[in-house]
Amino acid sequence: MDTKDVTINANDFEYSFSVGTKFGQLSASETLAETLRNRLGLTGSKEACNEGACGCCTVIINGNAVTSCMTLTVDCDEKNITTIEGLANPETGELDPLQQAFLDRYAFQCGYCTPGIIMASKALLDKNPTPTDTEIKEALSGNFCRCISQYHVIEAVSDIAKGVQK
Amino acid sequence: MDPKDYKYIGKNVQRKDAKDIVTGKAVFLDDFTLPKMIFGRSLKSPYPHAFIKEIDVEEARNLKGVHAVLTYKDVSQDYKMGWPPQKPILSQKMLYVGDTVALVAAETIEIANEAIDLIKVEYEILPFVLDGLEALKDGAPQLYEEFDHNIVTPGYPPFQKDGAFWHLEIGDLEQGFNECAFIAEDTVSFDKKPAPLAPEPPGAIARYDGDENYTVWATSQSGYILKIINSSVIPNSDLTVKTFNVGGSYGNKQSLTVPVMSAVLLSKVTDRPVRFFQTKVEQMTAYETRLGSQVKAKIGMDKDGIVRAVKADWTVDTGAFCNATQGQVGVGIGEAQLVMAKCKNWDLDTNIVVTNKQPAGIVRGYGGQELNSCLSLLIGRTMKAGNFDPVEVYKKNYVSDGDEYFWRDGRKWKAHSIDYTEAIEISAEKFKWTEKWKGWGTPTWTSEDGNIVRGVGCGIIGNADVGEDNTEAYVRVSPDLFGSKAHVIMQTNITESGMGQRSNLAKMVAEVMNVPYEQVQITDPDTMQNPTGFGLCGSRGTITYGRAVSNAAVDARRQLFELAEPYLEVPPEAMQLENYGVVTKSRPGKFVSWKQLIPPDLTITGYGKHTENFSTPNFFMVFLEVEVNKQTGQVKVVHMLGGTDAGQVIDPATLEMQCHGGIGSASLDTALFEEHIIDPATGRPLTYNMLEYKWRTFNEFPTFDTVMLSSQFDTFMFKALGVGEIAGAAAASATMQAISNAIGVEVAEYPATPNVIFKALGKM
Ligand code: FES
Ligand code: FES
Repeated sequence: MDTKDVTINANDFEYSFSVGTKFGQLSASETLAETLRNRLGLTGSKEACNEGACGCCTVIINGNAVTSCMTLTVDCDEKNITTIEGLANPETGELDPLQQAFLDRYAFQCGYCTPGIIMASKALLDKNPTPTDTEIKEALSGNFCRCISQYHVIEAVSDIAKGVQK
Repeated sequence: MDPKDYKYIGKNVQRKDAKDIVTGKAVFLDDFTLPKMIFGRSLKSPYPHAFIKEIDVEEARNLKGVHAVLTYKDVSQDYKMGWPPQKPILSQKMLYVGDTVALVAAETIEIANEAIDLIKVEYEILPFVLDGLEALKDGAPQLYEEFDHNIVTPGYPPFQKDGAFWHLEIGDLEQGFNECAFIAEDTVSFDKKPAPLAPEPPGAIARYDGDENYTVWATSQSGYILKIINSSVIPNSDLTVKTFNVGGSYGNKQSLTVPVMSAVLLSKVTDRPVRFFQTKVEQMTAYETRLGSQVKAKIGMDKDGIVRAVKADWTVDTGAFCNATQGQVGVGIGEAQLVMAKCKNWDLDTNIVVTNKQPAGIVRGYGGQELNSCLSLLIGRTMKAGNFDPVEVYKKNYVSDGDEYFWRDGRKWKAHSIDYTEAIEISAEKFKWTEKWKGWGTPTWTSEDGNIVRGVGCGIIGNADVGEDNTEAYVRVSPDLFGSKAHVIMQTNITESGMGQRSNLAKMVAEVMNVPYEQVQITDPDTMQNPTGFGLCGSRGTITYGRAVSNAAVDARRQLFELAEPYLEVPPEAMQLENYGVVTKSRPGKFVSWKQLIPPDLTITGYGKHTENFSTPNFFMVFLEVEVNKQTGQVKVVHMLGGTDAGQVIDPATLEMQCHGGIGSASLDTALFEEHIIDPATGRPLTYNMLEYKWRTFNEFPTFDTVMLSSQFDTFMFKALGVGEIAGAAAASATMQAISNAIGVEVAEYPATPNVIFKALGKM
């Protein structure tokens, strides 16, 4: 690839990188997970498996839930990326209702999978605001949670789907 | 305190780190970095047993950005990992696929990986052994010179101060069997060494602090256990261990010996902080798995359904190295006695065996689960022979107040205060056991075409480790600089790895000090700055830390009462804490604030401790219903119930999630599909990543009910005991029982994959 710039919009902030092999440049093989975590300090989403299997690194790109460990940053030029850090209201700090539902339903244990699960659920709800439990489970079937918080996660997402206010 | 006065105990309270977790702010080790930190990687053995004939690291060393390349030639062969110290950190002999050949530290992870590729090695490939019983045979490949027939020396001094404990021999076995009407005898294996598979991979950052002192930041659920287990590796070393939130452990991320010692060595030679993480593939192929178990046993039951005699030989496959597996064996022996607590005649012998597989280590269930998964199938056979209802048998045999047993310290303990009869009965009732139970080998339901059948099963387990290890805490009362409130600081070493216990302990202190939960703070987990605490491993946290912090709070309260005497002019018994001050109980009364009592800028510090005690075993019972498709051999769990009595429940939501957790971390699904499959020709794991290794996805969960009783057991001030660890420990054997009942033929091979089902049905 020729040297060029890549511009991504992460949580409503624009970042431009020059692509190349020199120190500090963004290499063509750098994953979005690496860029977000190591360059932008957005460490909320996790790199757990680095092979697209666990969903811990899930972020939203142009409305779709995507595993950032399997996405090259150079392929994200001009794209809008939302990470877990971008969900709460930046001015008031008020949580997204989905985050609040995760609190109300105790929908995590160790929390390592949680940012990825919240982002996958968020992308689902943005497209389909009233998913059934089966649709929620399908949408999350790529997210690994070994502590077994699934039961509470489904309650939390389903609260939003059903418009339950706590 | 009267439970009805509790403000926080027994109620759901938002975890202190909850908001950080849902916003991505919570810090895990991978999110942390140190100035001048460099990156460590290792070259791993492609062979299960091999000798390094030649190794050339010149090119790797000369690569720009490489700070160190280490092989066995550069490191003392006396730096041995494990107990007894056995395995050099870097050795000339490779004992498993994934064993460390060389260590590299470099400016970036990419340079480190490049350097790894430049190392040239010539191996002499040696014959290998992958099976525990095979490894015991004459002529089997020997892994260590000092372990004759691959048998690891028994005994782990920190656990067994009176000497090694590995063989339970009590009563009169012959006499015992004579009293039995039903006897089952067989060899059962639970040896597929499934992966606990914490989402966060194992990792550590080490910094060399001079002499043999190191600071280690690790993904460990217990910094103190990491410290004691790894302190025997480098003579005279001292590790200070700090942790962050831990991304799942399930007991598996405690000592972290390989990543920690790799980072430690590299930090010393480079004098730079070195970060050493395993990749997911390395975690799955080279990190610690569950123990392998092969149990040859004979169990006898009398005509009333009481187990009267147990003879068993338990072969424990610890993989290529033994890192205090002795503790797990001790607990396994203990837990077997809890399930068959009325039995007075035992000969339960054990051998820990090394094989050329990735090491086995600590996993939720801790030896007891592995042994239970085998012995329960034989208990089941005696029940079947006597046509007993398993719930009734388990109820009669399970430990209760006054029963005696030997625990992993080799000492005899007597159960105190606990009785789980009610929990068993209520759980069975909620599951509708009597309605569903149709007898041994009889399905609860059969489809019209006869192809699909359902069956029920149950399993029981308990662990007395909930009182294990001495623990200390300080509780400091620190009046706010401005205003009239105060903060109460719990100084205690406890890492959050998902159980919510840091917050639960704050609830206890808030109750004693009568302050809002929000005003109670906890120090960061750190072995130097906090008093002794073994972390939450083994569900011990509720009792051990619970007693330590509540005693510390009571001690702080006592000091405040003493200071208040001149002001209130009543004895301490007539005082109570209220509104950041001390008041008289009689109303209208007097008030003096903590701020007035405590000299400016100083604090009141209370001290509390727990001393080890194995007298209150916990309890968990699993009931489940499976559906088997006889055409496809597929089994699925359709409904499950976890029942327990946790003593006083501290936080219902987190306890419920601990119950759910029994499905994960190589528990329930070790009966269905979780296993490491190793290529017998090469010794390499074929289940090397999360795509090949089977795990349960979001859309495959059974419905789940819980029963959580809240008895007031005499454990400590808050009458609680921990229970989470064992939530899934009896699930595998319960599943086997349910499958056998569904298809009418006994299945005793873990996991019950379609092949196993077809074999049982005579279709293969
Ligand atoms: S880390 Fe990206 S899917 Fe697992
Ligand atoms: S909460 Fe720990 S893996 Fe999901």
